[in-house]
Amino acid sequence: MSAGTIAKYAAFSRISATQAGRERNELYGRMAFFAVILGVFSSLWRAVAEAGMPVAADPKSLVWYLAATEWILLSAPPIHLEIQEAIRRGDVVYRLGHPASYVLAEFATGFGLLAVRAPFLGLTAFLCAFAFTEWTPPLSALLIVVPFGFVASTVITALYLGIGLLAFWLQDVAPVYWVWQKLMFVLGGLMLPLELYPAFIQRAAAFTPFPSLLAAPASVVLGTNAVTPGALARNLVIWSGVTAIAVSWMFRRAVSTVTINGG
Amino acid sequence: MVADNVSFTRALVATNFKATVALRGAFVIQVVFMALNNFTFFIFWWALMQHVTTLRGWQLGDIQMLFGMVAAAFGLTVTVAGGVRHLGRFIEDGDLDTLLTQPKPVLVNALGLRSQPSGFGDLVSGLIFIVWSGQISWSRLPIVVVVIAASAVIFVACGTVFFSLAFWLGRVETVATQLWELLVTFSLYPEPLFGGTLRLLLFTVLPAGFVGYLPVRILRAPSLANVTILMFVATGYLCLAVLIFNRGLRRYGSGSRFTTFG
Repeated sequence: MSAGTIAKYAAFSRISATQAGRERNELYGRMAFFAVILGVFSSLWRAVAEAGMPVAADPKSLVWYLAATEWILLSAPPIHLEIQEAIRRGDVVYRLGHPASYVLAEFATGFGLLAVRAPFLGLTAFLCAFAFTEWTPPLSALLIVVPFGFVASTVITALYLGIGLLAFWLQDVAPVYWVWQKLMFVLGGLMLPLELYPAFIQRAAAFTPFPSLLAAPASVVLGTNAVTPGALARNLVIWSGVTAIAVSWMFRRAVSTVTINGG
Repeated sequence: MVADNVSFTRALVATNFKATVALRGAFVIQVVFMALNNFTFFIFWWALMQHVTTLRGWQLGDIQMLFGMVAAAFGLTVTVAGGVRHLGRFIEDGDLDTLLTQPKPVLVNALGLRSQPSGFGDLVSGLIFIVWSGQISWSRLPIVVVVIAASAVIFVACGTVFFSLAFWLGRVETVATQLWELLVTFSLYPEPLFGGTLRLLLFTVLPAGFVGYLPVRILRAPSLANVTILMFVATGYLCLAVLIFNRGLRRYGSGSRFTTFG
């Protein structure tokens, strides 16, 4: 990819980041929602601890685990909604003739939004988790979670892009998104570390990208050393590649079969 | 007057239902996927409760009942009054104009404008959760119907209040949606997790307590006092919602404005 091409897509990111910076209502809403969820779960983990749950990690680190998984998930902008609307309205047709790849432009736009959301939500996660637990994980753990979490959010953004492209065939991608989201909850270990799920769920999760995107980066704060940074990096690279190939293939298939009516 | 409105609402719901099921494939997909969505979410509770038997006195069956209760009430809400989640946009975009010229109550008309097929998935899965909890006998079926209906009325009333803020504050879609989601979120977690000021909020401003906790208490141990309180509260929130909406409607500005596309 040439410098000119990179600059072109960087401009998409810059524009969306500027827009996101101006229209902060949704971001504030997400921050408030994030704080509430962490509050609810800190109460839940306290209740679980009272009930004597045999967990290796203590309730405080479980709140930080949730803060990390939620940060990764909430930072990724739901770009599938915009893509779905563009496809349903037919606006995508006008974009196909532009001297920029539709898929890369949408991804760059999503990345720009992510770049604005991630720091705000990260700060919210940190402050709320600290307020609810009066404890912080070791700095070395946070230094691993932040970069890997950001990369995971980027891959999730690309996956949203793929879900959005399904609108070429399905019109309404909401049902796919719901199930995908809940699979992320369970197989990604969003609220509960995967070790607490039955063995068959853990085995099923190993064949999906979800644990590498949520549980693996977040589990660093649990201090269980379940995954090394090297293994985490390898898994993220593999799933990034798989996602890129899948999205690119889907778009080629969609464009080759799309029917354009009117003018 | 009331009978007329009830008859109009019934006709509106019937028309919406026909429109919803007209696209049979899309309808079935939405219903099935929403039910799957709910069952997948519940795996969290199921896995957690494999490790602990009770959470401050709540067992898995109680959580199933709460989850089923809220899902069924939410499903009923978005099926019958799906327009509630779009009220903010209707107000902001001037979409109430067409309803103002009709001889029927604007709020009832606006609420009935959008029926969400996924609501049937919520409703069906909610009822399955309630039966699955093993705490309900057939003799309690009338109570189940009453508390689900009351809970749905509170959902509709709260949504109407949240989204009617658009009359005074303009573009409130995001804030109102977040308030709505918070109401749903809080109502899905066991009551004993929350205490102090938050508990007070959950029985007033964000009445998750009346949407989920009190109905579950009634289903576990029916009492005339609790049913009366629930009915009273549902009626109160509904009256408040109608009052706020009608007040807001006096401030409503028409949607006759220029729009440019480029």
